[in-house]
Amino acid sequence: MQSYISIENLAKSYGVVTAVNNISLGIEKGEFFSLLGPSGCGKSTLLRMIAGFETPTSGAIKLEGADVTDVPAHKRPTNMMFQSYALFPHLTVGKNIAFGLQQDGLAKSEIRKRIDEVAEKLQLTALLDRKPAQLSGGQRQRVALARALVKRPKVLLLDEPLGALDKNLRTETQLELVRLQRELGLTFIIVTHDQHEAMTVSTRIAIMKQGQVLQVGSPSEVYETPQSRYVAKFLGETNVFAGSRADRSGSELQIDSDEAGGRLHAAFTDRVALDAPFWVSVRPERVELATSGSGLEGTVEQLTYTGVERHYRVRLKSGATLDARRVNLGAESDLGVGDRVFASWSPQASRLLAE
Amino acid sequence: MLTAATPSTKTNWGKRLLIAIPYAWLLVLFLAPFALVAGISLSTVRLGMPPFEPLTAWDGSILNLRLNFENFLYVLTDDTYLLAYLTSLKVAAISTAAMLFIAYPLAYGIASCSPSSRSLLVFLVIVPFWSSMLIRVYSWMSILRNDGLLNALLLKVGLISEPLRILNTETAIYIGIIYTYLPFMVLPIYSTLSSADRTLIEAARDLGCSRISAFWRVTFPLSLPGVLAGCALVFIPVVGEFVIPDLLGGADTQMIGRAIWLEFFNNRDWPMAAAVTIVLLALLVVPIVYFQSRQSRERT
Repeated sequence: MQSYISIENLAKSYGVVTAVNNISLGIEKGEFFSLLGPSGCGKSTLLRMIAGFETPTSGAIKLEGADVTDVPAHKRPTNMMFQSYALFPHLTVGKNIAFGLQQDGLAKSEIRKRIDEVAEKLQLTALLDRKPAQLSGGQRQRVALARALVKRPKVLLLDEPLGALDKNLRTETQLELVRLQRELGLTFIIVTHDQHEAMTVSTRIAIMKQGQVLQVGSPSEVYETPQSRYVAKFLGETNVFAGSRADRSGSELQIDSDEAGGRLHAAFTDRVALDAPFWVSVRPERVELATSGSGLEGTVEQLTYTGVERHYRVRLKSGATLDARRVNLGAESDLGVGDRVFASWSPQASRLLAE
Repeated sequence: MLTAATPSTKTNWGKRLLIAIPYAWLLVLFLAPFALVAGISLSTVRLGMPPFEPLTAWDGSILNLRLNFENFLYVLTDDTYLLAYLTSLKVAAISTAAMLFIAYPLAYGIASCSPSSRSLLVFLVIVPFWSSMLIRVYSWMSILRNDGLLNALLLKVGLISEPLRILNTETAIYIGIIYTYLPFMVLPIYSTLSSADRTLIEAARDLGCSRISAFWRVTFPLSLPGVLAGCALVFIPVVGEFVIPDLLGGADTQMIGRAIWLEFFNNRDWPMAAAVTIVLLALLVVPIVYFQSRQSRERT
């Protein structure tokens, strides 16, 4: 089945540097799709190719089945919200929003109607006569969004749209974006390096590294079942131990890890080849710490109180460190720095990872 | 609150001194001579040194102040002067427009080059300043003469059969002015174009503009401060230009700078020369105020 947007074997190189390396992706109508990765992973280049600002070296971009690879930016049914917002400083907010509609040659009354509509939706009605220089960061962000949305694009592209906002406003705006996207039923593609942002807004996330997509999935899929060490470490915090040897007994694996200094348990999976180097990962919030019992032995080296949680850093006997977390339920911690602890977790909490 | 107010009062004196020095400079070297010229313009010519009557005379117990407005009345009603003013304004307007048409594409071209070649190209624009303007204007005389380089070339190529008369015509004045003042038009335009945000063009393209309409709707309006600065830098001095029309122009193109020169040195009528100067200044105040207000409006 053809996806709404399908990216086929797309590549982009600048001289000897390969920014995007043979990416294939399908994005469905109405999705809020994230391209997530560190800076320089090619996510912005990929977005700019979808917008039409960069010409791919090879491969194709199709929108509703039609090949748009060679369609110039101004003729694509996509609109972009820029990281810097790129508001026209010489025009008022109203004229910034009207810019694209005037270019399309719409009637004045229709332009007026559409501006009023989008201004109301984004609480910009009172600001229409101001110049961008007179606006706050949050207001500029809304104008940039309005300017792109008013064109009713098939796909809205957002390039690190919230990077310039402070933390509280950012969280608020993320929820606002999700609400808008649902309400309008549009397809959003967002580029971000902030994993929390990607997790908060997306229906699906593509995790990128060095011009390639490592894994695509819903936020819970990529968090719960990362397929590689890189993805597991990039999304949230995790403990990763190299496996030395694995034995299968039924649906369970017994894994010896020299790094962890003990035996780990995991559910069997055929996704990861056990004859190649492999790793076991466990999220800190899944680790249980006890003063006695079985598991990996170690001592509490550091205890951090964050309000919501207590973070424990445990120095294992093997010399490796293990992070564990406990939600703050009001009780005092029974563990302190220097205490001897045993760390354990259920086999279902373990994830086997390839490189 | 108190701690916030203290540093600003402390820096105040330093700031005032910083502003006071250049203002004192302007007062002594601009405002005072201007007052002198204004005074002379209201005086009457006489033989001797200085060649004008003092404005005030002490008559035993009465201080007499004699202001002679005859020079102004003459300047404003005499056809020769009116024509010279109009010619100056016309030459300045036409050459400013011509320079804008030449300089804008040039500046745009330089601004869209790679940063390393940009600095070389800007350097080439200002390289003529390395030699004296007078020498460069004299070189134009030898280029434009009837037996000059240009005519020799055109005759040799066979485009013309007899030499063109360019020197001592209005065309020669335009060539000289455009050549001399072009860098002053190029540099401010280049400066606004090169500092323009490239993503604004992308935003315009994204919103449906072709390259050409993105230029007219975004690049050009954003470069207007540079265009205005360039026009002001060129128009105002060209109106009063003396050397170029004197050396390259003919007797039939009388510009106001030359009229002042003749009045001052040939006729030794200092009051008249001063009156012509004051009227010229008054004329220039109009475009200066216009450019200034446009620029401050662009900035908000």
